[in-house]
Order: sequence, then structure tokens, then C-alpha cells
Amino acid sequence: MGAVNTTSLPAGNTRNLHRFANPGQFLRLSGKILPPIAAISIILASVGLIWGLFFAPSDWQQHDAVRIMYVHVPAAWLASFGYFSLALASASSLIWRHPLADLAAVEIAPVGAAFTAICLVTGSLWGKPMWGAWWVWDARMTSVLVLFFLYLGHIALVRAFDDPQRGYRAGAILALVGVVNLPIIKFSVEWWNTLHQPASITLTGAPTMAPSMLWPLALAALGGSFGFSALVLARLRAAVMERRIRALTLAQIRTGA
Amino acid sequence: MTHLPYIAASYGLTLAVVLWLGIGAWQRTSRARVKLAQIDPRGDVR
Amino acid sequence: MKRKHQRMLLVGGCVLGLSVATILVFQAFRSTGELFVIPSKIAAVAPKNGRAFRLGGMVEQGSLQRLQDGTHPTVSFRVSDGIASETVTYVGILPDLFREGQGVVALGKLASDGSFVAQEVLAKHDENYMPPDMADELKKTGWNPNKGSPPAAALWNAPKVSG
Repeated sequence: MGAVNTTSLPAGNTRNLHRFANPGQFLRLSGKILPPIAAISIILASVGLIWGLFFAPSDWQQHDAVRIMYVHVPAAWLASFGYFSLALASASSLIWRHPLADLAAVEIAPVGAAFTAICLVTGSLWGKPMWGAWWVWDARMTSVLVLFFLYLGHIALVRAFDDPQRGYRAGAILALVGVVNLPIIKFSVEWWNTLHQPASITLTGAPTMAPSMLWPLALAALGGSFGFSALVLARLRAAVMERRIRALTLAQIRTGA
Repeated sequence: MTHLPYIAASYGLTLAVVLWLGIGAWQRTSRARVKLAQIDPRGDVR
Repeated sequence: MKRKHQRMLLVGGCVLGLSVATILVFQAFRSTGELFVIPSKIAAVAPKNGRAFRLGGMVEQGSLQRLQDGTHPTVSFRVSDGIASETVTYVGILPDLFREGQGVVALGKLASDGSFVAQEVLAKHDENYMPPDMADELKKTGWNPNKGSPPAAALWNAPKVSG
């Protein structure tokens, strides 16, 4: 039986092999699914955003400024979902020591930070003409700014150690600690009085948004989610290849010396 | 359109950031692929 | 117990403990998260010694008066929370969304006569989004935007079953 050799290895050895596993299988699989994910993302997001920008009706009181919603709201959702996926990757790194989890966390954080930045800036661009202020320190805006700094903190922390493993571990702990911010963001508009309005789309009631606006928003959000996944997957592929390059270069130096 | 500058800035910024991320990831992948093709004895990594 | 399970318990326990601690801290300092003071709470909550604070509520129907203070546009209106209301005066340009029936958040100070002198007025919009024709339909059924937000969404936005 061909499997006997590998199964008879001691446990410590399999863990090592697991950690530096041949990346070929991940790269082959992800290389197959990345193009369709990217294509779906581009199609859905384009349709949603063009629909929202040119064809969806204006709002009865906000007029055309409401169109900022079609970029702001998906960015806001993905800022939170991105952090949730960062926390999941961190948990699977700490608990199951999954070999890809650390790299995934490192690659999720910058994409999440970028989407959070989009959310903050478009929110500001929406707030100025509607509310009359670029920024107010209410609970919603402050908690999303904290989310942005959590992402930035993670980006800095994983690169702050000479030993990458220690950086991964510190980053994973930060990511899990920061998870408490997610319910605070979600419920900030209910727990405190804020300038930001409560959610229009809830699990419990009818959406307080006309269907003619809900459809383009749903498409933009779905396209954004596929886009987020495609960006993370592409970066993860690059990171896996770069890790293999480092390992091979090190091996060459060792055997050459 | 009323408030056109704010709307244009929002969409423009979003597009710019996403394009920047996408092109960055693509360049990183192709750089790594070229390098790997030179040094990987196993080859066959796409 | 396997080490994997130990780590799982450790991570889960830490996240749980941290969440509980955070919630307790927020409960203890609930009021610090509030952006504004509502009219009925001014006596209890608002700073006394002439310090600035934010007042929030809805612009009362029929209370908006546009005055002219020399060359400056001046407005006076009442902000209500349904229980109490507070007179606000403001010199300056109001945001586009400002109208009667709209939520507002004003930054300013209490004057000696007990009224609120605002230095900044922000408009707060609600979570309802609808095209103008839908708003017109709702107005026909008796909704007056100057009195407040539209009726519950289930009444105007529930999926219609035809036939």
C-alpha cells in the first residue's frame, strides 16, 4: 500500500509536512475558481452600480445624493464581514494550526482596511451634503473608525516580529480581541442615539427601502462580496507562491554553502 | 444631478481603490509565478 | 482532552470573557456613548455651567420661523422628543434636509432664558428610502412629512400578492 509510508511517520513529522505542504494543490484549485469568481464580481458589481447610478430612482428627500448608498453600504457590510473572516482565519490558526490560515489573515487585513476606508470616505461624502457635516463622533462612526484602526493594527503587528510565526500569533490574538467591536458597530445605532440612522434592511421586518432601490443595492453588495473574495484569493495565491520562493531560496543557500 | 461632485467622488474613489487592489494582486501573482518558474525544481505551479 | 480542544476552549473562553467585560463596561458608561441630549432630559443631563452640548429631536410642525438678523439669515424652531420641546435659535445656513418633521442634532448652549442657542445644526434623516412618487402616494393616504417619519414599512413596502 502506498499510504503506509506517510501514515507511519511520527506525529511531529506530519505536522511539519502539513505546514510546508506542497502548495500545488491549493494553487491549482484556486487558479480554477478565481477567474469565475472575479468575472461574477465584475458583472454583478457593474450592473448594480450602473443601475444605482443612472437608472434607480432618486430619493424623495435626499434626491440624487442617495446614490452614494450603492457604494457606501456594500463597503460597510464588507468591512464588517471582512473582519469576521479575519477572525475566523485567526481562530483556525490558533486552534487547528491550519497552514493557510496565517497567510489568509495577513492577506485579508489590507483588503478589509481598504473597504473600511471606502466606507468611511464615502460616508463622509454623503454626510456633508445631507447631514451638514463631514464627520461627527457618534457611536456608529466612531466604532467603524475603531474597526479601521484594528485592521491597521493587524497589518502592522504581523510584520513587527523577526519570527513570522510570532507575528502571526500576535495578529491572530488582536483579530480575536477586536471581534467585540462587530456587535458594537451593528447595534451602535440602537444602543445609543446617533446622527447615523438605524438599519433599513433587517432580518425581522420589511425593508424600509423601496424595491427599486433595494435591487441595485443587493446586486452591488453581492458583486462586492465576490470581489472581496477574489481579491483575497488572488493575494493568498501570491503569498503561497512567495512562501515557496522563500523556502526554495533558503534551501538553495543551505545546500550551496 | 444635484450633489454631483459628492457622488462622482464616491464612485471614483471606490473604483480607484478596487482597481488598485486588483492590479496590485495581479502583478504580485505574475511576479511570483515568473520567479517560481525559474527556481522551482517541481515546476508546474500555476 | 486533546490539545486542539484545549486551545479551542481557551480561545473561545477569552473571546467570551472579553465580550462580557466590554458589554458590562458599556452598560456602566451608557450615557457617554450618546451623541445628543433630548429635550425632556435637558434638566437632568445637560451641562449646567454654560458649556456647549448637542441637543437632538424632531423639528416640531409649525414651529419654524425665518427671521432676518441684519444681513444674517436667522431661524427659530422648536425641537421635540414627544414629551418636551425646546426652542432653538440659529444664525446661519441650514442643511438641505432640514424641515419640519425632520430629526435634527444641534450643537450649542443654553441661554439665560432657557432657550437653546445653536452654533451648528445638522439634519438627521430616517432609515426610509423611497422614490418621490411613492412618497406622494403615502401623502395621499394621509402621511404628513412635517409631522414625522412615514408609517411602518410593512404598510407601504410589503411585497404585494396579486390575484
